[in-house]
Amino acid sequence: MKAKESVLVVDDDLDFLNIISRILKGKGYEVETAPSGGDAFLRLKELFYNAVIVDISLPDVNGTKLLSGILEIHPEIIAIMLTGHSSVQNAVESLNRGAFAYLEKPLDPDNLLSVISRGLEKQRLVLENRQLVEELERHNRITNILLNVSQAVSQSLDLQEIIDSALDTVARSTGLEANFIYLGENDHLRLKGHHGLSKRLVQSMPKEISKNSGVIGRIFGEAGSEIIEELVRDTQTDLNFLINGGYHSFAGVPLTILGESIGVLGVATSFARYFSSNNVELLTGIGREIAIAVRNAQLYEDASSAKALRELDSMRTEFLANVSHELRTPLAVIKGCANSLLQSDVIFDDQTRRDFLVSIDKDADTLTRLVDDLLMMSRLEANALEVKRKPHKLADVIYATKDRLDKLTARHHLRIDIPDSLPPVSIDDGRIREVLTNLVDNAVKFSEDNTTITIEVHTNGKKEVILSVADEGVGIPSEQQLKIFERFFQGNGRKTGRRKGTGLGLAICRGIIEAHGGRIWVESEPAKGTRFSFSLPVD
Amino acid sequence: MDKKNLLIVDDDPAILRLLSTNLKARGYEVITATNGEESLEAVQRDFVDLIILDLMMPKVDGVEVVRRIREWSNVPIIILSARGDENDKVKCLELGADDYLTKPFGIAELMARIKTAFRHRGDPTAAPAQSSFACDGLEINFAKRRVTVNGNEITLTPTEYSLLQHLAVNSDKVLTHSMLLQSVWGSEYSSEKEYLRVFVGRLRRKLEPDPKNPKYIQTIPGVGYFIATDVP
Repeated sequence: MKAKESVLVVDDDLDFLNIISRILKGKGYEVETAPSGGDAFLRLKELFYNAVIVDISLPDVNGTKLLSGILEIHPEIIAIMLTGHSSVQNAVESLNRGAFAYLEKPLDPDNLLSVISRGLEKQRLVLENRQLVEELERHNRITNILLNVSQAVSQSLDLQEIIDSALDTVARSTGLEANFIYLGENDHLRLKGHHGLSKRLVQSMPKEISKNSGVIGRIFGEAGSEIIEELVRDTQTDLNFLINGGYHSFAGVPLTILGESIGVLGVATSFARYFSSNNVELLTGIGREIAIAVRNAQLYEDASSAKALRELDSMRTEFLANVSHELRTPLAVIKGCANSLLQSDVIFDDQTRRDFLVSIDKDADTLTRLVDDLLMMSRLEANALEVKRKPHKLADVIYATKDRLDKLTARHHLRIDIPDSLPPVSIDDGRIREVLTNLVDNAVKFSEDNTTITIEVHTNGKKEVILSVADEGVGIPSEQQLKIFERFFQGNGRKTGRRKGTGLGLAICRGIIEAHGGRIWVESEPAKGTRFSFSLPVD
Repeated sequence: MDKKNLLIVDDDPAILRLLSTNLKARGYEVITATNGEESLEAVQRDFVDLIILDLMMPKVDGVEVVRRIREWSNVPIIILSARGDENDKVKCLELGADDYLTKPFGIAELMARIKTAFRHRGDPTAAPAQSSFACDGLEINFAKRRVTVNGNEITLTPTEYSLLQHLAVNSDKVLTHSMLLQSVWGSEYSSEKEYLRVFVGRLRRKLEPDPKNPKYIQTIPGVGYFIATDVP
C-alpha cells in the first residue's frame, strides 16, 4: 500500500489549525500542525513532509524567511503560503523564493485541496523523474565498470596479468578497498591474486581452500553470491584475516561460465552493512567478465603447453635419430674395417691393414666421446653433475689446454688475450677446460679456414671473470640464438667434411657453467661471426 | 672386361677410405666426393657406372642428389646411410634410388648389392628367349632393352627394367612377392617387401595412363603381381 502523503500546517491560530487538519485528514492526508515557526522548523528537521502550509504572518518568525529555511532543508517540498489582504506583496515574494502557491484567508477548502493536489502531483512527477535519472546513471555506471573490467582483462592472454588487472580495475571503478580472487584447481581453490591488502594480511590469508568449506568454498560450490553485512570472528574462519585487517563487510561472487564456477571474487570494505543487492549484481557481472578472460587464458595456456610438449617430443625423436646416426657413423667405420680384415676373398697388404686398425682405434675414441656426452647430459638432467671447485688462475687453465686448442685450430689463427692481473676463481678446471674446448671446436666448425678465433678474458666489476670465444664465421640467426643452448638443437652452416654432433655440446657447456654459479650467452651477427661468453663468479 | 667406375659420396673421410680400399681391391675404379655438389659435378664429368651415396651431407644432401640425378640419368644408386628409418628408405627408393643399405654394414653384403645393381643393367646375353612382348599398347624389345607405350619411348632405370622384364616374360602368371624379390634382386632381398611396392609404383607412374587404375601390372593383395595380356 502506498504511504500516505503528509502535510505540515503552520499557523498560530489553533482553531484554524483544527479545521484545516480535519479537512485534509478527511481527504486521506496525514496531517501535523505547528503553532509557531520555531516548532515547524524543528519538525521539518526531523521528518520529511510532502507539503507545508505556512501562514505568512507568524508571531515568532517572518513567513518568507521560514519558507527559505524550509526549502533549504527539503528542496522538493510543496510550500503553500497563506496570506491576509495586507500581505499580498509578501506572498508574491514567497512565490519568487520557491513557494508553490499562495492562498488568501479566509480559505476556500475546495480551492486549498485542489492546490495541494496539483502541488503533490507535480512533486510526484519531479521525484519520479529524479528516480529515473538516478536509475539511468546507475546503469551507466555499471555498464562503464563492466566495460572497464572487460577491457582490462582482454588486454592479455597471461593468466596472472589478467587477474592482476581485473583486481586493479575492480578497486578503481568500485572504490572497494580490498579484493581478491581464488581459482579452482583440482579439488581445491587457490589464491591467485589480491589487491589493497597489507603484506601482513596477505601472509595470513589462506592460500588454498577446500572446495567444500567456508564462505569461499560455498560461493564456489553453489555458484551463488553471498553478502556478509558484519563479519564476526570465528564464524567464518576463512575470512578471519579480513577482521584482523579491520574490514567489516564482505561480498563474494562466483566466477562463472555457463553456470559453472571456475573461481571466486571476494571484496571487502571497512564499512559495515555496505553491500546491497545492486552491488552484488554489479560484482556478479564483473565476475562473469573475469571468468571469460580467465578461461580464455587457461585454454590458451593448455594449447601452448600442448604445443610445447609436441615440440619437445619431436625434438626427442629427432635427438634419438641423431644419436642413432652419430653412433652408427663411427660404428660403420669400426665394423667396416674389422669386417674388411675378415674377408677371405681379398688379402690386404700390411700398410692397409694398419690403416684399418688406425681407423678402428680413432672411431672407437669418437664413440667413447659420444657416450661420455650422453652420460654427461643425463647427469645434468638429473642435477647430478659434480663440480670439484678449487681456486685457480684462469690463465693457467687456458694455457694448460693450449696444445689441444692449437690442434683444433690448426687451420685457423688462434689469438689469446688475457690481462696480467686476474682475480683467481674457484672452479673445476677440468670441466671449464671442457667448456673452452667445446666453444673453440664450435668456432672451428662454423668458420672458414684461415680466419681468426679469439679467446679473450676480462673482469666485470671485480665480481665476475668473463671468458669469450669469438669467430669470424657464418654467425647465428637471431631467432636461433635463444635455442642453441637447448638440448638437441642443431645449428646450420657446418662446414664440409664436419660431422654433425649430438646437439648436446652447448647444453652441456651451459650445465657446467651454471653449476659454477655463472652464466653463458651468445652474441652473433650472420656472416660476421659469433662470440660465446661465460662468466665465473670471483670468490 | 672394362673396369667398372664407382662414385662414392660421403662426408666422412674414414668411410671414403674404407670403401675405396675395399672396392679397388676387388677390381673397381673409384672416385670420391665429400658432398652432394661435388657428387653432381663428378657424375656429369666422369663416366660413372654406379653411385654409393650417403644421405646426411652438407650443402646438397643425398635425397636431393638422387632427385637431381634421376632427372637425366638412370645410373644405379645405392644409398649407404646411418639413418635406419623405414621412411627414409621408402622416400629414397621412390625418388629413384636402386637400393638402401644401413650403416654399419658388412663388406660382403655391400659387394653383393653392387653386383645385384650391375645385374639389373643387363647383360644382352641374359635376354629372354622371346625377342619381344606386346600388350595393349605396351611394347618391350628385349634385345634392345627398349620400352614403348603407344609408340612413345619410356626411360626406365635398370632395376625398373629388370622387374618389368620379369613380369612380362611370365605374363598371366601370378608372381609372389618373394619370387619377384629373389629373381629380380637376389635371395638376400626376400624380406624387402617395401622394395617391390616402391618399384611397382615407379613402373606404374611411368607406364600406366592412370596409375591408380593400372591396366598392365595388376596387384593381388597380400600375394603378388602379374601382367595380364588378355586386357578386356
